[in-house]
Amino acid sequence: MSSRRSSRGSISEEEINELISKLQSLLPNSRRRGSSQASTTKLLKETCNYIKSLHREVDDLSDRLSDLMATMDHNSPGAEIIRSILRS
Amino acid sequence: MDAKRTPPPPTPPNPNPSVIGSGAAADGGGFGRGEAAAATKHMLAFHFLRALSRIHRATPVTRRTRTIRRAAYSSMARAASPRRAWSRALLGQVRARRSRTLMRRAAVLVRRRVVAAPAPSPASARGVRIIAAGETSAAARAVPPPPRQQGEPPRAEALRRLVPGGAGMEYSSLLEETADYLRSLRAQVQLMQGLVDLFSYQ
Repeated sequence: MSSRRSSRGSISEEEINELISKLQSLLPNSRRRGSSQASTTKLLKETCNYIKSLHREVDDLSDRLSDLMATMDHNSPGAEIIRSILRS
Repeated sequence: MDAKRTPPPPTPPNPNPSVIGSGAAADGGGFGRGEAAAATKHMLAFHFLRALSRIHRATPVTRRTRTIRRAAYSSMARAASPRRAWSRALLGQVRARRSRTLMRRAAVLVRRRVVAAPAPSPASARGVRIIAAGETSAAARAVPPPPRQQGEPPRAEALRRLVPGGAGMEYSSLLEETADYLRSLRAQVQLMQGLVDLFSYQ
């Protein structure tokens, strides 16, 4: 990947801004901002916070799924749904 | 709410769970963006549900949460395109952990052959550190990160630590990989939330 990038020459400012905009559209409550260095730094900070919150959600949901599976009977509808999905 | 009605995922072309190419279908030239996204979600659901069914059978309760979290991240990586660096980094961590586990088991077996009585578990097994999803592998950490490139904002360093494999990427590649990783993370969270809702209503 690095060699492919370097063979194409340095990436342009325009392409960086395009990637920044794409990243911005993935954030919750994203507002349109300028493309200055300060706003890019703020965008990256929001991106880091968003990734951390998603990591925490995966942890919390793993905990809840673990508890639910402990109480789930092997013949319960949930287990049957999983088996039917895997069979298809 | 639609997550509770997840349609059945397509049968993967190769049942071998170690094959990571099954996600490549999402990159077929004929796929539109919506079709590619739907195929990836189906693949994600397939990998995670299959892992869940195995966890249910084999895992003691105390280890289940950790195993589910690992299954979530490895399912994301398997469902993603094999060209994605974050996906390869995560799968590399899975393989590294598995090989360490196998080496510890081999050590226990050797010890049992030497001693007549069964040996207790080695103390080192207790000290095993869990690799967090956002943490880069040991090999990547050994390599010093590249010097900050021209125009790279200071916050990019924190992003490199959160995206798997981010330590070694160019700035532009880091941005691309971050966007793809975010999409996969959101899809995984939606899938797990849907399963929690589904099981809670029984």
